[in-house]
Amino acid sequence: MDPRMCRKISSSESLPDVDNEEFEVSNIIAPQESEDNFLLEGSPEPQTVTWLDDDQIDDLNLDQTNLFFHRVDSADIIYRSKKKKCKLVGKYVMGDILGEGSYGKVKEMLDSETLCRRAVKILKKRKLRRIPNGEQNVQREIQLLQILRHKNVIELVDVMYNDEKQKMYLVMEFCVGVLQDMLESSPGKKFPQHQAHEYFTQLLDGLEYLHGQGVVHKDIKPGNLLLTLDQTLKITDFGVAEALDMFSPQDTCYTGQGSPAFQPPEIANGAETFSGTKVDIWSSGVTLYNMTTGRYPFEGDNVYRLLEAIGRAEPVPPPACVGSSLSALLVHMLKRDPDLRPTVQQIRRHDWVRSIPPLGPGERIALRVRAGVLHRERSETRVGRRRAKGRWHSSCGRLPSCRLT
Amino acid sequence: MFNPDINDYQLTSIVSECCGGIAVVYSAVHKPDNQNVAIKRYFVDKSREKANLIQQDILTRKELHHQNILPYLTSFVHGQELYVVSPLMELGSCRDILDRYFQEGLPELACAIILRDVLLALQYLHKQFYVHRSVRASHVLLDTQGNVRLSGLRSAASMMLRGRRQKHLHSLPPPDHDNANLMWLSPELLEQNLKGYDEQSDIYSLGILCCELANGAVPFSEVPTTLMFTEKVRGNRPQLLDCSSFPEPLDDGEMKSMYNTDSGVGDSAEGMCRVRLVYARRKLSDAFHRLTDSALHRDPEKRPSASQLLNHAFFKQIRRTDFLPSLIGRVKPIKPDHCDISALLLEEKLSDMEIEKTEEWDF
Repeated sequence: MDPRMCRKISSSESLPDVDNEEFEVSNIIAPQESEDNFLLEGSPEPQTVTWLDDDQIDDLNLDQTNLFFHRVDSADIIYRSKKKKCKLVGKYVMGDILGEGSYGKVKEMLDSETLCRRAVKILKKRKLRRIPNGEQNVQREIQLLQILRHKNVIELVDVMYNDEKQKMYLVMEFCVGVLQDMLESSPGKKFPQHQAHEYFTQLLDGLEYLHGQGVVHKDIKPGNLLLTLDQTLKITDFGVAEALDMFSPQDTCYTGQGSPAFQPPEIANGAETFSGTKVDIWSSGVTLYNMTTGRYPFEGDNVYRLLEAIGRAEPVPPPACVGSSLSALLVHMLKRDPDLRPTVQQIRRHDWVRSIPPLGPGERIALRVRAGVLHRERSETRVGRRRAKGRWHSSCGRLPSCRLT
Repeated sequence: MFNPDINDYQLTSIVSECCGGIAVVYSAVHKPDNQNVAIKRYFVDKSREKANLIQQDILTRKELHHQNILPYLTSFVHGQELYVVSPLMELGSCRDILDRYFQEGLPELACAIILRDVLLALQYLHKQFYVHRSVRASHVLLDTQGNVRLSGLRSAASMMLRGRRQKHLHSLPPPDHDNANLMWLSPELLEQNLKGYDEQSDIYSLGILCCELANGAVPFSEVPTTLMFTEKVRGNRPQLLDCSSFPEPLDDGEMKSMYNTDSGVGDSAEGMCRVRLVYARRKLSDAFHRLTDSALHRDPEKRPSASQLLNHAFFKQIRRTDFLPSLIGRVKPIKPDHCDISALLLEEKLSDMEIEKTEEWDF
C-alpha cells in the first residue's frame, strides 16, 4: 500500500474490515453517488468537506444509532493513492466534465471501438422532474434530433438508459467550445465582423435546414451554438424546439419557452399565437447583434423590465462603427412586425452576408477555447474543471414554461 | 476504351468479398480486347450511408493519375448494383501474400521495392493535397509485371475546402466495418484535438506498414483498441523484429506481450514457434530500422516527408534489375480462365448464401 495519498481510513471502502460500529459515521460524508465518486477521485483536496445537495441527503440512510461524531486524529489517518479507474458506460469511456446545465452534467466520452471523441449529456430523472416540462422537453429533443441530419445541427449519436440509476445518457458529437464562452473571453465581448460572418452564415445554413424540415428552434443564442474542432458551428439544445404541423400552411406556434433576452416582442407581449420561424429570425438577429457589438439590443434590470423593453420593440441602435450594411441587416431582422422580418433566404441575399467583411486593422480572430483541450491525456485538466462549471449553462436562465406575459 | 456496359465484360471468378459484405470483387475479361480486369460490385442498397463514400472514392480516383495508384477505368450501374472496373492486380494485396505465403514477413528487398512505390504514390497524393488515411498492406496491390499500386482511396481526404487549402484536418476517417483501420492511424489523428493532423499522418501509417510487411503481423493487433491508442499517444514506437530487437530465448509470457502472428496459418502453436525462430535468426539492415523509426516519430513535424524518405539510404539497395514478382516467387497469381464459366454459375448459386470472408482485397 502506498502511504502517500489521500484517503481517510474510515471511508466507505475500508469499512467492511472494521468491527467497530463507530466508524460507520463517516459514511455520511462520503459521497454516495458513484457519479460523484468518480469526480472526486484523485482530487487534490482530500480533507475538504463534501457538501451534499438535497438529492444526496435524501439518499443517505441516516441510521439514528450511529449519529455521533467520531474524532479521528490526524496522525491516525492513513493515506494511500487511489488508482484512477476507467469508467465505462456501454462501449464508452467516461472522461472529464465539460459543463453543467440545469438537467445534469455534460461529460466527454471516448467510443472505445471507433476511438471517436464524443460528448454526453447525463440527465437524472430526479432533477428532470423538478424542471417544469423537463421530461417532455427531453423526449421532444430526442425525437427531433433523431430525425435531423445536417452539418450545422448537433448530431445525436446514441441514447442510453440506466434504469437502476435513473439516468439517461444522450451521446452527441464532440464540440470544443460554446460561442457564448468565446464571446466572454474575447476583447470587448465581441468578434471581429470577419469572424462573426463565418459563424452567422453557418447559423443560416443550419436554420434554413431546420425551417425546411418544419422545425422551429425557439432558443437561438450564443449559448446554444457550439463549435467543433474544425470550427464548424453546431446548433444545439432542442429542448424547447417544436416540429410544425406538416399539413398546416402557416407556421403558427402557441408556446415560447426560450431565453428572455432573445425573445421577440410578440412573445414578450404575450401573444396567443405567433409565427414560429420568425422567432428564430429575431433571435438570430439578437445573436448577430450580440456577436458584433458585444451588447444586447434590449436591456433591463430584471426579466420584467427586459420583457417590457422588448415589448416596446425599440432596439438600441447598433453603434456607428458596425457600418451601414450590417446596421441595416440588424434593423431588418429586429422588426417589431414578424411579417416584416426577412426569411432565411432573404437574409442570405443581403449585402453583408454575401461578401465576407475583411479583417480590420488590429483585429484578430478570437479563438479561445478551454485550456486542456490540447492535452487531453494530461490530468492537469482537472484543475480547470471546477472553473468550467456552468459552461454549458445559459447566461440568462430560461423562463418557466408558462407563456410569457 | 472501356465501355460502361455489362455486356462487354465476362465475369470469371470471385476474387474476394470486401467492405464488410457490401461489395464483391470479381476477375473478369473485357471482351472487346480480351483484357483481364477486376470488377468490384457494390450492393449499394445494403447500406445507404456508404453510398456517398463509394461516390467519393470514384470521384477521387478519377482526379488522380499516377503509376502507383490503382487506376479507375469505368463504372456503371446494372440492375441493383454498382460495378467499378479496375485493372486486375493478379498477385493480390500484400495482406493476402503475407497471410498465405509469408507469415514471417516479406524479404527485405521486396519490402524496399513496395515501400518505395507506396512512397511515390504518397508523394504524388500529398502534392495534390490529399491525405490517404488508410495506408495498409491490404491496400497495396501487386501484379505480375512488378507494378505496385496503392488503393483504398475511399477514406482519402482533400486538404482543399471550398477552394482554400486547409493547414490541418480534424475528422476521423469514415469507420470501416471492424474498425481495423485504426491500427495504422497516427497518434495525432487519433487524438482529435485542436492541432489536428496533416499529410504527415500518412508517413506514420507507412511506418506501421513497414512493420506489417517485414514482420507479417500488424503492430497492436493483439491489444485492445483503447490500449493501442494510449500506447501511440505515449510515443511507443513499434519495431521491426529481427535478432537486434527480438532475442532468441523467449518464454511464452514475454512473447504474449509482443506482436503475435495471429493471422492465417500462423495461429497454430507450431507455426508460431517457427515464425519466432525466423525473427530471432534474421538480420534486417540498419537503414530499414532507421527508416521505420523515423516514420513512426511521435511528433509529426519531426517525421520526414514522403520526398525526403524516397532519398533514404534504405532504398539504395534496389537495383534496376530487381523484379518484385521473382522476389516473392512463391505467390501464385490469380489466373482467370476465359472458358471456365463454372465460377460464375457457382456464384449465381451462391448469391443467396453468405460468403465467408477469406481475404482482404480492398480497392
